[in-house]
Amino acid sequence: MSGASTSTSPPMASISDVNTLFQNAKKYEELNVIGTGAYGTVYKARDLHNGGNIVAMKKVKVALTEDGIPLSTLREIALLRQLEAYRHPNIVRLLDVCHGGQSLERDQQLVLFLVFEHVDQDLESFLKRSQSPLSHGVIRNMSYDILSGIDFLHSHRIVHRDLKPHNLLVTCSGRVKLADFGLAKTYDTDMKLTSVVVTLWYRPPEVLLGTSYNTAVDVWSAACVLAQLHTRKPLLPGASDSDQLHCIFRLIGRPSRSEWPDNVSIMLDSFPEYQPQDLAEVLPRIHFQALELIKGMLVFDPAKRLTALDCLEHPYFTDEPLM
Amino acid sequence: MPYWYYDKKDLQNTPSFRDAITTETENRYRKEGARFIIDTGSKMDLGYNTVATGVVYFHRFYMFHSFRTFPRYITACCCLFLAGKVEETPKKCKDIIKVAKSLLTEQKFASFGEDPKEEVMTLERILLQTIKFDLQVEHPYGYLLKYAKCLKGDKAKLQKMVQMAWTFVNDSLCTTLCLQWEPEVIAVALMFLAGKLSKFEVLDWNGRNPKHNAWWDMFVEDITMELLEDICHQVLDLYSPQPQSSGGDSPPAPSPAKQPKNEKKPPSITPPTSASPVAVVVSKPILTPMKNGADIKVDPPKMEPIRYTYPAYPGMPAYPAVYTAPPPSIPPPPRLPLTGPPPPSLVYAEPPPAPPPRFPPVNVPPPNYFPPLPGRGPPPPGPPPRPYYPPP
Repeated sequence: MSGASTSTSPPMASISDVNTLFQNAKKYEELNVIGTGAYGTVYKARDLHNGGNIVAMKKVKVALTEDGIPLSTLREIALLRQLEAYRHPNIVRLLDVCHGGQSLERDQQLVLFLVFEHVDQDLESFLKRSQSPLSHGVIRNMSYDILSGIDFLHSHRIVHRDLKPHNLLVTCSGRVKLADFGLAKTYDTDMKLTSVVVTLWYRPPEVLLGTSYNTAVDVWSAACVLAQLHTRKPLLPGASDSDQLHCIFRLIGRPSRSEWPDNVSIMLDSFPEYQPQDLAEVLPRIHFQALELIKGMLVFDPAKRLTALDCLEHPYFTDEPLM
Repeated sequence: MPYWYYDKKDLQNTPSFRDAITTETENRYRKEGARFIIDTGSKMDLGYNTVATGVVYFHRFYMFHSFRTFPRYITACCCLFLAGKVEETPKKCKDIIKVAKSLLTEQKFASFGEDPKEEVMTLERILLQTIKFDLQVEHPYGYLLKYAKCLKGDKAKLQKMVQMAWTFVNDSLCTTLCLQWEPEVIAVALMFLAGKLSKFEVLDWNGRNPKHNAWWDMFVEDITMELLEDICHQVLDLYSPQPQSSGGDSPPAPSPAKQPKNEKKPPSITPPTSASPVAVVVSKPILTPMKNGADIKVDPPKMEPIRYTYPAYPGMPAYPAVYTAPPPSIPPPPRLPLTGPPPPSLVYAEPPPAPPPRFPPVNVPPPNYFPPLPGRGPPPPGPPPRPYYPPP
């Protein structure tokens, strides 16, 4: 589907004959569905122009506006493409972006294909498969990988917004790579149309309360994931929006009246006066510095939460050299 | 990841060349398309970044497609349209087309077909695919300002020099330099050129290091004199008179049955020497009048072959007088009547210290590009907005 491949094909009759262009340039062969999310579907596919290399192809439907492809989508793709130049080790490689031509044009939709490197497993399946607890060394390396990826995104003003084991990929050498970010605005238009249940377990209180949020949301989610690396089960498995908040406050304690944001519809008094739990009891056998780190990340007030960079400079990572 | 730089051999063997368009003609088409993007963008108050991004898309596009397949002016419109969105300075497609129509001759506008907007929308997808969604493009402007900050010397002369370099960067868009060299390299070369022509010799700079022979060694490694001269010549070539006989105004349609739109097109009435599709005073190449850049007009060098005798630097030949004067002192091109209002003030008479607020608020409707005629009320209500895709 690349332009390069089209240049060898005979000149096109007319620019309205786009379909010819794309048929001539078929480049990926879809194999099977890897996952379906609120945003669309991810396929395992074969890159026919590249020795049959296996790739992960995410199909995103973009609603076309009167003026073509929405600005927000173009901006997001531009940024993803730009990030790729850094080849950050904890970010999944974006190999190609293409679109599916005009097939759905009458629905005023364009199907975009984002082609990523294929990584065999995600952290969710990795944790499910591991029979015994992960070693401290493995946990520490994975934690560092996750936070490095987050810090990289934040330094490029990208908020992931949906960090969870499902979109953290684990390579065969045990490195973790972040996936599924940077298309928040593009997804938004599509998500309204779907009713896929989105997991709440990694959502920070400010998102659940509907107040404004920033990069700190990812630090909260990362804390939940880091805790899960130790126990191999979710830290805060809420059943609904409000249950999720109850889970959070049962763990970190109900926030004080002064901490409670003004602009939320939920009353502080709708929660019992939960006292903070001792995190060491929830995460037994945890390295004491890891415990300190996670405590600093699970703070109600986003402004007082550690930043991703703070986390990377935490003694948990700096006291001993990383492997 | 796509790689967007080509060597001279690749730049010869383009899809247009393989489609029996001579390199000379292709270069003219590229120049006209770029100039048209610049003119349209300027007329719509788009900033230099948006315009330059559009031009880079345009040059990249024709590394994959022939000018015979895709008429240049409609591609140019589409590139500007897409660049507007990517640079967050969006313009409505129909407004771009309106301006295009006002700038082009009827014959040239005929290539837009019966439904110009639909054509541009379709082309947007082809363009995106062709440039592989690699939308973020860097330009030499930012580097120019960055480098200038480090140079020491007479402030006024430095400013003149940067202003001149800025104009050269504007004009370099009409060459294929953006397909050959990174923006950093182009910035260095054109600043070098401006330094020579404005007689501003950089003797010292901040961050100087004994290993550095020239100021640019601090920013870009391994820049040779040959490379600098080559880049400078490519820009200076723009100002030399164009050969009169380089191809037709439009490439002939490959097959009338397949491209009926082009078939209708009568031969051009605009002399092919015009560097601009805008029907202005021809026979004198017009230096880019770009929004936010210096509006200047330069007479072509009288002795065309002089550049071929261009000796090795630093012994610069005497350039036609116009080059020795800094661009700001040169009157802007008379776009329309010569007796018109005074020339617009130079928005960038000196390079801005910081990026100017170039973005209009995104949600504000675009300003009316055509000031209402005196005594005329608001435009009459048109037909109700048509659905984008006509029902089957």
